[in-house]
Amino acid sequence: MTSAEIILTGLLISALRSATPLLLALLGECLTQRVGRINLGIEGQMLVGAVAGYATVAASGNPWMGLVGGALAGAALSSVYAWLTVVAQANQFASGLAVWMLGFGLSAYFGSQFVGVRIEGFEPGAAGLTPTVVMALVLVPLTALWLYGTREGLKWRAVGESEANARAMGIVPWRIVVSGIVVGGLFSGLGGAALSIDTTRTWAEGMTAGRGLVAVGLVIVARWNPWLCLPAALLFGVAEALSFRLQAADSAVSAHLLHMLPYLASLLVFVITCVRLRHHPQGGGAPAGLRAVFER
Amino acid sequence: MTLQLSGICKRFGDVAAVTDADLEIRKGQVLALLGENGAGKSTLMKLLYGIHQPDSGVIEVDGQPLKISSPRVAMHCGIGMVFQQSSLIPALTVRENLALALDQPPWWVGRRARALRTLDEHVHRLAPGVAAEATVASLSIGQLQLIELVKVRMRNARCVILDEPSAVLTPTEAQRLWSLIRELAADGVAVVLITHKLADVRACADAVAVMRAGRVVAQIQVAEADDNSIIGWMVGHAPPAVDAPQYREATLPVRLWIKGMSAGAARNIDLQVSGGEIVGVAGISGGGQTALAEAIAGARPIDDGEIILDGELLRAPRRAAQPSPQLGYIPAEPLRNAVAPTLPLAVNLALKDLRGLPFIVDRAALALRAQPLLERFAVRPADPSAAAGTLSGGNLQKLVAARELSQQPAAVVACYPTMGLDITATAQVYETLFGLARAGAAVLWISEDLDDLLRYAHRIAVMAEGRVVRVVDARLSTAFDLGRWMTGQTQEETGAAATRQHEVHT
Amino acid sequence: MSPAAVAAPGPFVHTLRALLLFGAMASGFFLLIGHHPGAIFIEIANASAGSGYAIGETLLRATPILLCALATLVPARLGLISVGAEGQLYLGAICGTGVMLAWTGPQGLLLPSVLLGGMVGGSMWAMVPALLRTAAGVNETISTLMLNYVAALAVTWLVYGPWKNPQSQGWPATVEFPGAARLANLADSRAHAGLLLALGLAALLYFLLDRTRWGLELDVLRSNPRLEHVTGRRIAPQVLLTMGIGGMLAGLAGIAEASAVQGRLQSDLSQGAGLSGFLVAWLAGNRVGRTVWMSLLIGGLLASGDGLQMNARVPSSVTLVVQGLLFVAVLGAGARWLPDRRKPRD
Repeated sequence: MTSAEIILTGLLISALRSATPLLLALLGECLTQRVGRINLGIEGQMLVGAVAGYATVAASGNPWMGLVGGALAGAALSSVYAWLTVVAQANQFASGLAVWMLGFGLSAYFGSQFVGVRIEGFEPGAAGLTPTVVMALVLVPLTALWLYGTREGLKWRAVGESEANARAMGIVPWRIVVSGIVVGGLFSGLGGAALSIDTTRTWAEGMTAGRGLVAVGLVIVARWNPWLCLPAALLFGVAEALSFRLQAADSAVSAHLLHMLPYLASLLVFVITCVRLRHHPQGGGAPAGLRAVFER
Repeated sequence: MTLQLSGICKRFGDVAAVTDADLEIRKGQVLALLGENGAGKSTLMKLLYGIHQPDSGVIEVDGQPLKISSPRVAMHCGIGMVFQQSSLIPALTVRENLALALDQPPWWVGRRARALRTLDEHVHRLAPGVAAEATVASLSIGQLQLIELVKVRMRNARCVILDEPSAVLTPTEAQRLWSLIRELAADGVAVVLITHKLADVRACADAVAVMRAGRVVAQIQVAEADDNSIIGWMVGHAPPAVDAPQYREATLPVRLWIKGMSAGAARNIDLQVSGGEIVGVAGISGGGQTALAEAIAGARPIDDGEIILDGELLRAPRRAAQPSPQLGYIPAEPLRNAVAPTLPLAVNLALKDLRGLPFIVDRAALALRAQPLLERFAVRPADPSAAAGTLSGGNLQKLVAARELSQQPAAVVACYPTMGLDITATAQVYETLFGLARAGAAVLWISEDLDDLLRYAHRIAVMAEGRVVRVVDARLSTAFDLGRWMTGQTQEETGAAATRQHEVHT
Repeated sequence: MSPAAVAAPGPFVHTLRALLLFGAMASGFFLLIGHHPGAIFIEIANASAGSGYAIGETLLRATPILLCALATLVPARLGLISVGAEGQLYLGAICGTGVMLAWTGPQGLLLPSVLLGGMVGGSMWAMVPALLRTAAGVNETISTLMLNYVAALAVTWLVYGPWKNPQSQGWPATVEFPGAARLANLADSRAHAGLLLALGLAALLYFLLDRTRWGLELDVLRSNPRLEHVTGRRIAPQVLLTMGIGGMLAGLAGIAEASAVQGRLQSDLSQGAGLSGFLVAWLAGNRVGRTVWMSLLIGGLLASGDGLQMNARVPSSVTLVVQGLLFVAVLGAGARWLPDRRKPRD
């Protein structure tokens, strides 16, 4: 096969598989930011989701159970973030980092026994796609329709814009904020489980390698719109798939240098988005409740 | 619907916001609820609307005692409230906002939701010219108020509470508001109008209730009350007298010269202020007044033109703006724009001299310097180590004045300096400003209160859409003239517009 | 109406609450994993301060944490929330190692040059998010987090690629640092003179931030960024300056770790010092004095990992969990547990 063929064959499928864990986390963080909270702890939630999912599959042999287990673990950890920011009213950035730290520690601790343990995940179906990928793709329109078209979605958006005004309309903001955080935890835990059970089928300490943090930035690139989460996640996925293929095609270029591609690409679009948002009078779609967190 | 509040009390921590308040709201009547900032009128009405719950006391609706535990319950009982800060969510559409306000919003609220057709009809009928699909952020202030009223009326509210609705309106818009209020009353709705302006009371109220320090000190029919007794009830003593500055006939040297200046929304401003002169500036919000003030103060870069102070160039395009002891700047919202809230008063007073401080800062010396200044400008509490954020609005302005005006500047720019302050604090700020004018400073004073401008300024510059459209002698103008020029209308247009409004509502 | 800043619980109450909360959560975790909380706490204390060796390990671990904490603290005094110490640490290590590899001058100047190279490297890396913030308004928390991963990959690339020591079997790393490039050790321990440098820098920063006009200017701009026109001081140069100083400190931590502790540049050289440093700065409320002894505390906690593994048969990763619980406890203890009755909830 020529270099070009190596690179292009199945690039899209590969990119989709790479992007799936990030896409799930992205949808989750999108919802969380829509209710006005920035959760940096999503990285830790992905990690505990990855280890919990992996452990569940190792114990039960059923990858679906693994996904459920991962989602629940992510939700559980996110409730710590909810407690910190809603009840204790602590700073959002610090709370997120604390949850990340905790999640990292917990996943490292409970995951140490699974290093080197193999599991059977999903079998790739038509076009080389696994059920996890399909599920993530289906969740994109579902989330968008829910957010923009349903009464609950409208309430969530209202709370993210102005808790005070939402309260005056009879909504109870804290319930929705907590829901937004926990649902974000479910999605990110699911994403972590997707990573360990489906994409890589291994467990390693810190295996998410910053995907959760990238998701926080990419939500802004996606303008808090679930539809746009798909191209944003694909950007990362394509960069990653490309780096693998370039490495295979020409081993003279270091793999590690190529691994920087996804992060640099994400940072670049993030910077471009920030520049554009600055000039946009209305904040470019940012939930008004978030602006207070960003403008310091 | 008739409402009776008896013995209502509400505390927040150790602050008693409302004490032993009695109020009677009759159907088909407009009740003006008057009081200074912090008197408790907003809180009392929020208790009626279910946003807070009273610690004690009874609310009776048509003779039945009722516990209003949330805005939903209040709306269910037929009580609606239109807020001062719009309660609508700017990023959502008109239709989405109204859907949220429904008792039972439908499950699906997306684009073609059939269940929301009735909402569209309400909007079409009561607020023509407003598209239901438009985002609230794109509406003008007048349209915003209409939608707020739609929100309240679509629930068939029998009691409507309006919280300071005329705060940012021009005289013409205020007139239209008053006629809308009279119409509501004519429909049999009980209307409560929360305000601190006597003009509102005279224009449309049947009864007036005055609150002071959390208590209702008087409830009386408007026909039986005179202005001075109303003010007396509001402040608890005779209205504070402010010396109107003497009008000076002689031409004096120009001290502040704004030459063809453009910055932000302000375009091509030409203005001269002489020593001892007070030039007022009037305009609707967004008309460039704040940009003008910020440009002079150095808080905003200048695009074109110059600003000259006592013959020396103060501000110019592409010139780094340095704070000057010759120029005092009193902005609106001091907490946001002029002080460091977490730092002590002593530091706040030294902000303009920061670059001149020694490398190693002697905090004790700063505190020592601060004490006499705090006392001279009557800042309370006069504690140099207290954080600026703990001061009340009036004291914050006094703190800013202490910093900006203590060195006898050649010119002072005051931008909405008394916004949100009560009568006593406003009088104190005026005393300080006008005292400086008497001492020979040039004062540029931007204010939202047309009556005060007419009473105290020598000349008034009217701005519209960023330009100065007229500069007039304050003695020869009226509030209506100013209002017309502010909105860029001629006399004929004003009359025609008023007729059109009337037609729509009959 | 008074725009009062609503007070959080006083410092004593806060500390007490944090300790109780931490104690409860940590004990709960220990019980969950089947160990006696008391025994583990005692072992942590022992392994971190119970012997000369333990103290040495604690100081060793605390040094990069202190430097990274200071690297977080300086920009924080301007109101910036930078989590980039980790990346700046790596870049410092890279640049310092580069100096060592390319050095042709006199041996006497090798150590200062290597350290200087580390500081410059960290500083340069910090300029990236700083410039992004001043020129484009890019949020520094997110940009520094992403750049951390880029920096870590840069180290991995170098030690697997151009700088790989052909003689290192299995575990890729660079050649060893010659003795002349290493900081001296303290007493008999593995702790090195970098600690003294760090303490000296901490003292200098305390003086600069708390006693000088510059520190006051930072306080003013942090309290209200809109006061540029009142003070005549612009924020943008201060962003660059504070981030630059922070990068310098973290870079020093990186090169010190590579040269004095590990003896060579290799992957995972930071062992999370960047994030731990952020935690410490936050716990210390961005005050220099408290940062010093909190670094010792966290350093001791993390250093006890090996002892825990050997003596109590608990995997060392438990210290990471404990660290996270501590951060969560301190944040949670700031809670106004009861809704604040002084402020009308609007």
